[in-house]
Amino acid sequence: MKVNIKMFQVGELGDCFLLKFIDGEKKSHVLIDCGSFRNSNKSKERLQKIVKHILDNELSGGLLDLVVATHQHNDHVSGFLHAADLFKDKVKQVWLPWLDDPRDPPANKLRLKQQNLLDKMGVIYQHLQQKNLQEGFPITKDILDFYGATDDGPAVPLEAMKILRKMGKKPVKYLEPGTVENIPRFTQKQLKAYVLGPPRNPAFLYDITANKDETYDHKLELAFSGAEKLAHALENKNGITGREEQQFPFNLHYKRSKEKIDSAFIGLYDDPRNDYRTIDSDWLNQVERLALYMDSYTNNSSLVLAFELVESQKVLLFVGDAQTGNWNSWKTLEWKGAHRDFNIRNMLQNTVLYKVGHHASHNASLKEAIEDMTHEDLVALIPVDRTDGNITKTNGWKMPAKNLYKKLKTAAKHRVLVMDVGFDDDCRPDNGTTGWSELSAAEPEYNEDDLYISITVED
Amino acid sequence: MNVPPYRLLRGYSLDPAFSTRLDTMGINEVTYKVPWESLAAGPCGAYFEVIDYDPPSNCWYEPVDLNHTYVLAQNGLPPSEGNPQFHQQFVYTIAMRTLVQFERSLSRKIIWNPRVTEDESDPRKKTAEYVRALRLYPHAYRASNAYYDPEKRAVLFGYFEAGSKVREMNMPGGVIFTCLSPDIIAHELTHALLDTVHPRFIENTNPDVAAFHEGFADIVALMQRFTIPSLIEHQIAQTRGNLRDFSFLGELATQFGNALENNHGALRSAIGKINSEGKWERMIPDPSLYKTEFKPHKRGAILVATIFDAFLRLYTLQTEDLIRIATNGTGVLQPGAIHPDLVKRLAREACEIADHLLHICIRALDYCPPLDINYGDYLRAVISADLDISPVDTNGYRVALIEAFRSWGIFPETVTTLSVESLRWEKTDQLDEVFKNIWNKIAQTFREPLREIIDISQDESRDRREEIVVKSVALQARLHTMLLEKGGSRFNEEFLKRYDVRLTDEQWSAFMETIGVIDKKPEFKYNGKPVEITTKPKIEIHKIRPVFRVGREGRILEQMLITITQKIEIETGELKGATFRGGSTIILNLQNQMNVDCIIYKRISSAGRFERQMDFQTGSQGNFSFNDDSMYEDDCGFVNLSFSHLHSNGF
Repeated sequence: MKVNIKMFQVGELGDCFLLKFIDGEKKSHVLIDCGSFRNSNKSKERLQKIVKHILDNELSGGLLDLVVATHQHNDHVSGFLHAADLFKDKVKQVWLPWLDDPRDPPANKLRLKQQNLLDKMGVIYQHLQQKNLQEGFPITKDILDFYGATDDGPAVPLEAMKILRKMGKKPVKYLEPGTVENIPRFTQKQLKAYVLGPPRNPAFLYDITANKDETYDHKLELAFSGAEKLAHALENKNGITGREEQQFPFNLHYKRSKEKIDSAFIGLYDDPRNDYRTIDSDWLNQVERLALYMDSYTNNSSLVLAFELVESQKVLLFVGDAQTGNWNSWKTLEWKGAHRDFNIRNMLQNTVLYKVGHHASHNASLKEAIEDMTHEDLVALIPVDRTDGNITKTNGWKMPAKNLYKKLKTAAKHRVLVMDVGFDDDCRPDNGTTGWSELSAAEPEYNEDDLYISITVED
Repeated sequence: MNVPPYRLLRGYSLDPAFSTRLDTMGINEVTYKVPWESLAAGPCGAYFEVIDYDPPSNCWYEPVDLNHTYVLAQNGLPPSEGNPQFHQQFVYTIAMRTLVQFERSLSRKIIWNPRVTEDESDPRKKTAEYVRALRLYPHAYRASNAYYDPEKRAVLFGYFEAGSKVREMNMPGGVIFTCLSPDIIAHELTHALLDTVHPRFIENTNPDVAAFHEGFADIVALMQRFTIPSLIEHQIAQTRGNLRDFSFLGELATQFGNALENNHGALRSAIGKINSEGKWERMIPDPSLYKTEFKPHKRGAILVATIFDAFLRLYTLQTEDLIRIATNGTGVLQPGAIHPDLVKRLAREACEIADHLLHICIRALDYCPPLDINYGDYLRAVISADLDISPVDTNGYRVALIEAFRSWGIFPETVTTLSVESLRWEKTDQLDEVFKNIWNKIAQTFREPLREIIDISQDESRDRREEIVVKSVALQARLHTMLLEKGGSRFNEEFLKRYDVRLTDEQWSAFMETIGVIDKKPEFKYNGKPVEITTKPKIEIHKIRPVFRVGREGRILEQMLITITQKIEIETGELKGATFRGGSTIILNLQNQMNVDCIIYKRISSAGRFERQMDFQTGSQGNFSFNDDSMYEDDCGFVNLSFSHLHSNGF
């Protein structure tokens, strides 16, 4: 058997991957994510064109067997909304992470908390806009955009999730780490889909003794309360009126306006020579920090799948945008039915195709995991468009991160595909120094008209 | 009447929440002694200005007047979480106590880093403005964080709401103030003090620099706890003298940590933690960690654990006899509580050892290179500092420290054996006679002016630190012109003539080499390509300080400390924006022969060090960690450490 993978060029930051599993006449089509960062008409039209191409030309008249949405960020799911009409009646089943399962009480709680945090950050940003301060908070703006939270009208990712829940002919399947799933029409003797993340184990979610850095959730509540207090604080500029603020952090009778404090003391603070030491707006830096935290949180909630071609044991690893917490949690995973000494290390050592996490930012590929990817056939796919304004601007996103890109090139013998141009010069198949010629399967194909880069892996 | 030596101020010995625990409520409130100084409302004294402005709450809190009769009459305001004026008093108290440790150990006045500003029309023209007091803002922002801001010369403390679940001792939804944790205050103050002693240590040039700042701050916070006898007695009684079993004494910022994590989460448990059975256990020395752990907190914890390890070794060694006396020579304690007299004696030993260790650790700062510090350098500094002050190691401090560093896998570069003799910075016996002569002349010239500075520092009647600054700056300028021609790249001929010293060009170059600097443009390669360096690096006399100390064995030490640095700025190519420095700390003996005691250098001409630093800063080795773990960064770059990011707990 073989599998063909197509990385679609969404024209900006975004993920859209089609996997075609083929064994003679037997075929199965899996779409992993479909989104791009912006919701402009141009972005919509491009995604619609891609979806149309997939449905018309890639499915041999059949349906999409599976649609997988890794996490609720615009650049991964917007297409499901913008091309909703096209997807209609074309999808057999949707896979989502357990965190999206409405019948799972802990998931509901976490989702609610995350939404609350997002809403609060939205409120904070509105406050900043009203005060005309938003320019000073570029990170917050960027990050809220991932949730479509600064657009007018309903947030795109949230709407896309609603559509995803109803999209398939069969009910949505919510995936748990540690399970092994079937790909339609294939038995697990031929093909397995291991679920790696997001971490389920409550010990990872709540128990700090596990390891401080390996959880992504225990801070969510603290972040929310921090955001709430910041939102209140922004209201305080018009006088302390809120009931909670009257007691926070001290009883109201301790709170004084500047005029009520001895002028000599105030003079020390107001002295122009001491201007560099004032702290009037430092507290607002916390807004950006909370925004970054929220971003990591959502990235860590990514559904992570590893497809194994059983005979050759080759693995295709799709990690969404999983950050460190998610990666670390795989170390202790055991899969039902897998033999005892099968673990994440084996999986990484057998990985022949790695969909690089989070558009190759430095914080979404665990260093030691990349070092474990030692298979001689390894190919890396980076869904990044380096012309994206967020990457080209000053202090923009570092995607792909320099050193990670370098490391991936070394690990994959320069078999690295990038969404914007297919391959950089030092990774071109016709460049004799790359490792493409060592692969038994066909060379990658870059199809500019149909907006994809394609590669095939043989079992 | 005479001015009293101390002002007594009440406060917490541990975090506020320990006052609500039956077993610790009795020991959580202590009366601290801080040096008496005249204070304005705030409190605002010579070294610190506490300004209680709470911008997010859009309000101010009335500054406390510690001279108010009622306040004086009850040794300061009673500890209270709900009264901001107590918070002001407490921040001041712990800040002063931390400062005192530094002044006592370094035996000189602490003078905060001057504020250097560039002339708007000519960026080469710089003015240095004296900064009298460090600012402390007890309620600056809403976050589970506190940080030292080197630009503002200020420490900003945050406050936040604890989670809604009951976690250990915290009240759900209660307010946690970082300015009420003595550990957090001491930690942040140590950052500020370390930055003042070694301003170049915020340049992130190798994986140990950030970790050293963190670890050192924790060492001071931890060891400061051991200066509170009632606390130690309580713990010794509880653990029957076995400090290896102790619990909360070894955790820093427990309440703060509990509020952040779910349970059992002290902010930093460098020396141990609660295991899965709920029992506290000490961290076992693991020599592999130093090679594998690069996050500043965790790497810093290795240093704390190492120093604590030395502490335990010394405590065990020095209390064996007491235990034997108490057990009729068997060394085996009877079951049950131990005798209160024994508790007192054991506690006294523990306090004394902690006090000595803390002083050795701080004093060692004077024996560190002025830049690019690593743990190995620090070990050598610790040993050299202690050797100078106490040539006969009667109590085993140095051996305990060496053992501890060894068991944590920290070995200095270029040292072949771990003996005291090879660890101490090289004595300069090998130094050319001509060079020795130069240093001898410098020592002779500077002895008197330095003694003047010492006299000023010892005048306790008023704050005369600004005078010290003026005099020191003048001395630096004098040394600069004495040693170097204008422009700072050639030896001053006049000096040579005056002292009848003759130097050939080669000798001058060699002399420069001995202090880590060069008199020509250095040549470096990076990734096989030559690095373009446009200007010949200038030499800067960074600091001159007098040292006047009395050692453990009553030995008096009079020295002159000079730091000299030189920097290269790379303006083009792939390393654009990088700064590479070299230089040295020179310790001159002002007694007897007036010779050089040691020269602790980091050569600017070292190609290896250049390459390592660039590899680290461009993230090529993977042994780095970020100021900010986000998609906005991809290597640690050439930026300085950010304390606010170092301390943020994820946000």
